[in-house]
Amino acid sequence: MKSILSFSLNGAPVEVLVKTTDTLLDVLRESLGYTGAKRGCDAGDCGACTVIVDGLAIRACLAIALTMSGKEVVTIEGLGKQGDLHPLQKAFHQHGAHQCGFCTSGMIVSAKTLLDKIPNPSQDEIVEYMSGNICRCGTYVEVAEAIQAVSGGKE
Amino acid sequence: MENVGYFAPSDVGQALELLAEQGSKATVLAGGTDLVPAINYYSLWPENLIFIGALGLDYIKEEGGKLLIGSGATWTQILEDPLVAEKAPALAQAARQGGSVATRNAGTVGGNLANASPAADLTVILLALEAEVLLKSSAGKRTVALKDFFTGPGETVMNDDELLMEVQIPLPAGSAAFQKLGRRKAMTLSVVNAGVKLNLDGDTCSGACIALGAMAPTPLRCSAAEEMLVGKKLDAALIAECAAAAVAAGSPIDDQRASAWYRTKAGTAIVARALAQAAGIGG
Ligand SMILES: Cc1cc2nc3c(=O)[nH]c(=O)nc-3n(C[C@H](O)[C@H](O)[C@H](O)COP(=O)(O)OP(=O)(O)OC[C@H]3O[C@@H](n4cnc5c(N)ncnc54)[C@H](O)[C@@H]3O)c2cc1C
Repeated sequence: MKSILSFSLNGAPVEVLVKTTDTLLDVLRESLGYTGAKRGCDAGDCGACTVIVDGLAIRACLAIALTMSGKEVVTIEGLGKQGDLHPLQKAFHQHGAHQCGFCTSGMIVSAKTLLDKIPNPSQDEIVEYMSGNICRCGTYVEVAEAIQAVSGGKE
Repeated sequence: MENVGYFAPSDVGQALELLAEQGSKATVLAGGTDLVPAINYYSLWPENLIFIGALGLDYIKEEGGKLLIGSGATWTQILEDPLVAEKAPALAQAARQGGSVATRNAGTVGGNLANASPAADLTVILLALEAEVLLKSSAGKRTVALKDFFTGPGETVMNDDELLMEVQIPLPAGSAAFQKLGRRKAMTLSVVNAGVKLNLDGDTCSGACIALGAMAPTPLRCSAAEEMLVGKKLDAALIAECAAAAVAAGSPIDDQRASAWYRTKAGTAIVARALAQAAGIGG
């Protein structure tokens, strides 16, 4: 069964034909060409597909696309773009908070929701909040440094 | 699998009608954090999905001497709710230790119960808090105590046409505690978990509930261990004895998370910690 799904993507209204069996991640990557959210585990464990829905971080791989009807979805593409990067994107770059880069978009999206909630997080708060984003290269120290650098809007 | 139907009713009445019509052909979808990984991995598509996220079941309130939590309340709501923090802090404590921010933002208490995993975290503390669930169908409603709710791994007494509406926690919720042992600190299912609730008269225990997870096909209430505490003053020796008795009620298995042997050892420590915490005894 195919239906039309209408939602807001990075501030702009979108209408797209989806199957009941599509997840938000399928629709973003395969129907709409937004490949910033990555398909890592497809089980909610890794965090590479993290997106923001109505202000809260969720796993795009676990959201049945049709449940997004009328919601506001923000992906890494909505945070900043080439030449106009989000402060977190700049800080991740400056602090080398990535190696292969696969987890980075999910990390930055999670970090954005952390700073929206706690503008000045402690190291412990960063570590706890970011524990749902896994990095196989082991960039955790740099990730925390990058978030710390942006916290309180310092950068 | 191309033809899965999708329904997103906007009120409870509509949802119950759909469930009555479709019976076993329909699967309820809440946050999807248990259902969708299973679908992604095993392509286990139901015939129809009924999404219940728009039914307004995400409330938390106090009424008639009970804390009432709508089945659609998320882990995040529970761990941030001031009423939960005041009336049932052990539930918030459990909510804080589940999954990650993103799964807590989507996963619901109703899903945690209805999924009936023997290792579920909110479930084990709710079992200790003597919670009941309100079930509704188009034909009527009933409340079931959680101790009578689970019948096996993934199995409950709920009928195909019933919706889990609400969790009801009797107040006051005693002095309660939740403990979990996972394979790491975060983002991990429990190797073993425990919830306890003590009613204390001064330092004498006048009633105890001990619930144990991941130690049997369903979350367990350990009545023999509970009785050992009644009328007694809790101390380290009694706690150790009681924890051993609680774990003896289990029938743990070897699986990818731990061996039965390890579960027995760790479970004893986890129950003892929960009892000590609830009794306010250091250690
Ligand atoms: C990465 C990850 C980490 C996790 N960590 C933990 C953890 O630490 N501890 C833990 O306990 N769990 C954990 N979980 C499991 C899961 O997040 C929880 O069990 C969650 O509460 C499930 O709720 P849901 O709304 O997502 O359920 P869904 O997936 O939507 O539904 C689960 C089941 O319940 C049924 N159902 C849901 N709501 C109702 C209702 N109101 N009435 C009738 N049936 C209903 C559905 O049909 C389905 O069978 C984790 C999951 C993931 C993906």
